[in-house]
Amino acid sequence: MNAAQQFSKAAAAKAVDLRHRAIIQKNISSYDIGVARGKDKFADWQNARSRVAAIKWETVNHLDRYLEEFERNVLANGGHVHWAEDAEQARQIVLTLARQHGVRKIVKAKSMTTEEIHLNPALEAAGIQPVETDLGEYICQLRNEPPYHIVTPVMHLSKADVAELFNKRFGSALDAPAEELTMVARRQLRQDFLTADMGITGANFLIADTGMIALTTNEGNGRLSVSLPRIHVAIAGIEKVIPRLSDLGLFWPVLCTSGTGQALTSYSTLVGGPRRDGEPDGPAEFHVILLDNGRSKLLANLEMRDVLHCIRCGACLNTCPVYKTIGGHTYATTYQGPIGSVLTPRLRGAAEWSHLSFASSLCGSCTDVCPVRIDLHHHLLHNRRDAIAGKLDNPLQRLAFKLWLWTMQSPARYAAAGKLASLGMRLGLANSFAKPWTATRDLPEPPRQSFRDWWSKQ
Amino acid sequence: MNAARETILGRIRTALRTEAHRPQTPSDAPIFPPVTDLEGRFREEFLALKGEIITDLPAFLTGFAKIASDVPTVASNADVRQADLGVTGCDCLLARTGSIAVCTRSAGGRALSVLSPVHLVIARRDQLVPDLTAALALWHQRYDKHWPSNLSVITGPSRTGDIEKILVMGAHGPKRLVLYFAD
Repeated sequence: MNAAQQFSKAAAAKAVDLRHRAIIQKNISSYDIGVARGKDKFADWQNARSRVAAIKWETVNHLDRYLEEFERNVLANGGHVHWAEDAEQARQIVLTLARQHGVRKIVKAKSMTTEEIHLNPALEAAGIQPVETDLGEYICQLRNEPPYHIVTPVMHLSKADVAELFNKRFGSALDAPAEELTMVARRQLRQDFLTADMGITGANFLIADTGMIALTTNEGNGRLSVSLPRIHVAIAGIEKVIPRLSDLGLFWPVLCTSGTGQALTSYSTLVGGPRRDGEPDGPAEFHVILLDNGRSKLLANLEMRDVLHCIRCGACLNTCPVYKTIGGHTYATTYQGPIGSVLTPRLRGAAEWSHLSFASSLCGSCTDVCPVRIDLHHHLLHNRRDAIAGKLDNPLQRLAFKLWLWTMQSPARYAAAGKLASLGMRLGLANSFAKPWTATRDLPEPPRQSFRDWWSKQ
Repeated sequence: MNAARETILGRIRTALRTEAHRPQTPSDAPIFPPVTDLEGRFREEFLALKGEIITDLPAFLTGFAKIASDVPTVASNADVRQADLGVTGCDCLLARTGSIAVCTRSAGGRALSVLSPVHLVIARRDQLVPDLTAALALWHQRYDKHWPSNLSVITGPSRTGDIEKILVMGAHGPKRLVLYFAD
């Protein structure tokens, strides 16, 4: 089975999984309430979106300049900067650093970029133990499955699911409340923090004018990962750079509001280098890996350059009717939902991943919620256009569109088609035509009278 | 990896030969409503985040056997890795979000304010600033050209909502965040 066939099969199964739907609805409805409250704290949310979009535009359209400024300042702070063209180069940089420093155990804060480069399997193969320390990511690691959502990794699990997992692994009670489960993880992971040799994080932002990375976390695992181990490695896409530290006065609240509805998450942290003279603790070395991995291709695509504005808040996933129906794992990609469907064909190849761009109702809700104003649903159309490349791939589809065009070009033919469709539905013929649809849904009762008939009688 | 650096920067420069359509310049109207009562707003937000404000410092301290402190007025008797209370100062208090800004210099390094189960901050009312933008400006003014290696804006105790979005305090960092006004 290829990726498209697997996607169709998984989507069909998940769409009728009512348990999955109940868990996702519960989770996303509490997200929705939080975000609505969070947006109320802004004087003008729409203008905040325009402002962050304008700063991102400025950065992305002068990306070389800001990356060089960032690099210069990291070096001045005593850090190291590495550049990786692709996932393999990024993995090799981490493995080389780990070998040089005799690293056996690594604590990791949540980072989608390390998921993108499939870092953990490479570390394990080299005999190094990576420990995910974000609670959600830790649960994913114990279950040996990828994150379901870029912000909320185990959105698809109920408390009972986690309790069952922890019962098997750590012997905690099957009816343990969420608080007790969290404390089980805290105790387990505290030992890992104290014994790890290296801390690996992502970066929500790279700050050009001070050479710092910004981390946004709630649990404190990010801060512990950069405090206790003797070496800190941060891995970030080249598009994460922003010009000034002062820009965070806007970017942090916008990211947190769109991500979880919080005004700020518990810890908004800046790391600008290794432990300095006179400081009591902190790693002896600080490394930043700047990852391209297809991003410069997006930069070269004028129409889609704004995709590089993405700050990975997850808002487009949470609002997407397709994501909510088929679930995060169905995508089988690092980035799911609308942003994943836009990015993946571009980063990982259109031949294998274009089907994702077709799995959308084009309702535009993703574009409406995007805090950096990426034109997501039009980019899905751009992907579709390029995938088709001027030709429809199915003769039946070609015939259907010809027929549709012919019908729409004449009012009389349009009216006749309406009558025919209505008759067909009443006679039950539609059920045989629309079987894939009616297998799990009811067709609506057709109206006795069409609007045109009603209008002409007025 | 200098080859990769040149390759990536080369790709970027080639891509940027054509400028993308520039978005309209946004209005520079204020993004947030103004904060007027700094202390009142700070208290409201900080308590809503489940922060605690204490008034009797000696009584509070008697509850802890192992204290690691970076503040001269509170005696330290334990290493940060063993302490059940970490005591630090801060750079400023952010009224809009009820946050506390710390850094390696104002809060005794990286671990002291995050490793212990309880974090006590000793602050003064004149450290109140309106919001994050003001806090970043203050950091700039105080540390520009000799930045600490680590800075954090702390907004409430450590928390997680990873399991069914149920709020749990103390995921990895302090379960309790306590503030004492020294003035």
